[in-house]
Amino acid sequence: MEVLHNLALGFGVALTWQNLMFCAIGCTVGTLVGLLPGLGPLATISILLPLTYSIPTGGALIMLAGIYYGAQYGDSVSAITMKIPHASSIVACIDGYQMTLKGKTGLALFTAGVSSFIGGTVAIVVLSLLAPTLGEVALLFGPADYCALMLVGFVCVSFVTTGSLLNGMAMCLIGVLLGQIGTDVNSGMQRFTMGLPFLADGVGLVSIALGCFGIAEITKNLDNRDERTPFNGKIKLMPTWAEFKRIIPSALRGSVIGSFLGILPGGGPVIAQFAAYAVDKKFSKYKHEIGSGAIEGVAGQAAADEAAARTSFIPLMSIGIPENAVMALMMAAFMIKGIQPGPNMIAGHPDLFWGLVASMWVGNCFLITLNVPLVRYWLSVFKIPYSVLFPSILFFCCIGTFSVNNSLDDIFITALFGFIGYMFMRLDLDAAPLMLGFILGPMLEENFRRALLLSRGNFTSFFTRPISGTLLGFIGVFIAWQVAAFFLQARKTTAHEQPA
Amino acid sequence: MNDRNLVRGLFLIAISLAFGLVSLRYPIGQFSRAGPGLFPLLVSGLLFLIGLITVVRSRFVERAHLEFNIKNIAIILASLCGFAVISEHLNMIAGIVFMVFCASFAGTSTYSVARNLKISAGLIAVALAFVKLLGFNLPLY
Repeated sequence: MEVLHNLALGFGVALTWQNLMFCAIGCTVGTLVGLLPGLGPLATISILLPLTYSIPTGGALIMLAGIYYGAQYGDSVSAITMKIPHASSIVACIDGYQMTLKGKTGLALFTAGVSSFIGGTVAIVVLSLLAPTLGEVALLFGPADYCALMLVGFVCVSFVTTGSLLNGMAMCLIGVLLGQIGTDVNSGMQRFTMGLPFLADGVGLVSIALGCFGIAEITKNLDNRDERTPFNGKIKLMPTWAEFKRIIPSALRGSVIGSFLGILPGGGPVIAQFAAYAVDKKFSKYKHEIGSGAIEGVAGQAAADEAAARTSFIPLMSIGIPENAVMALMMAAFMIKGIQPGPNMIAGHPDLFWGLVASMWVGNCFLITLNVPLVRYWLSVFKIPYSVLFPSILFFCCIGTFSVNNSLDDIFITALFGFIGYMFMRLDLDAAPLMLGFILGPMLEENFRRALLLSRGNFTSFFTRPISGTLLGFIGVFIAWQVAAFFLQARKTTAHEQPA
Repeated sequence: MNDRNLVRGLFLIAISLAFGLVSLRYPIGQFSRAGPGLFPLLVSGLLFLIGLITVVRSRFVERAHLEFNIKNIAIILASLCGFAVISEHLNMIAGIVFMVFCASFAGTSTYSVARNLKISAGLIAVALAFVKLLGFNLPLY
């Protein structure tokens, strides 16, 4: 009953005219920017983050969440129609693009929209049931446990986003080190500031995000000189009843998988899509069609994508630890607004928490009612040539950086991180774990120092506490597995080479 | 030297040394009472280790070619810095025009002054809307 009461409170907040408007703006702008080539949810949120500064807290968070789903939806549209994937919509490319080749673009887009709606709805039920309970569990966590949890997050994110534990961990650590720049909270000493006064507060998150994602991405696209063929196909949206019936079971399966995988550290949309797609390929009634443009191939992954995007808010809002880079940016947005996500957030700001949960569902409704019919107009974005587009993206990066502190110095820092981000990209290092490391770095240091202070400098306390001991054991097993896999692979290749 | 895996390892080592050597200059303290230098030193030590493993590993895996196109990134960075400098000393409208004209050199298609003028006009309109409608504080003129 309490959940219903809370949800009623949430809908009371989300359904005010003002918040409805913010939600609609967020979804629409997010979709539009998400459609642009080379801009996934992470880049979209970092570019649009400054838009929310002058908006009241509740509205700002609702708008950001809207931008997030909008960007994800926009991403899947560009994946289905043009096969331009981003990290968040790789799976949509497989069957979605095959459907486009068969002339079923409209059906694919409709399936993606409806499945997202189903996935989002299931996830909101999970979120409203689970988040408050997890918030209570979080109070059992001591500093050592928080450290171990963050390390688990690093390991999982590194492995999931980059596929290489070594590269991902390196990027996490670089992020942690970048987070050290500025004034040390415990001693008041300035670290790594090189005597520059504007670094005393640390490097701005927006500068790093825009540099590593916005600028580096633009340069990569320019280097590749991709000439995209504009999409001019006709679109027929509504499916037949037989087609519609195929969407539902697959979408429900995807929703459950996505809701579960979204909660785990390092989880989130990407891994959920793959898992849902794999399950559909194994258990669906039409599994022989999947891969060559089947409805199930689009429905399951879209539902999982959306569900995981929603439930990945659970660790952020109940424990206070973001589990992937997008959530880390969300956490920054919360903190800019003066709210510390964590166990006390639900009790301290019930209107914000439940308002956000309710607005997710409202956002879903917007996406399906606005975007499904409007999708033919959205696609005209693809007719803009890149030579017109990229100076505009550059301009938004500049404005975004400038408006954080009204300081032009920050643009130089963004430019510097643009160069560093470009280096990372050329060296095959993914910048997403860096964002997580950067945001969690100061928290990690604080908890690490506190844990050592409590145990009088004794490291065994990290292993003897039940929660942190279990988590660290998990990391140990994972690393051992990775090392073993590397050597087995190496032995296989040498064994393969010898007979030849 | 043109091996992406090797360069990646060396790059990581360089970053770890840049942070690690500086953090040695801060008080390290003891584990029970950590100074400001301890945590960055530990983290950069770990990063150094990963860099080292990457370098060693690069001897055993297949070489990958490192591509680096300095022209586009240089043009983009120049247009960003130019935008900041011109906005600081003149005004942001001039900065926008400079940025569009400079960045377009990195474009793929032919350079067109008319197109750049149109893009600049559009962006200036957007900037004006930001100032008038959203209350942004941009030094436009």
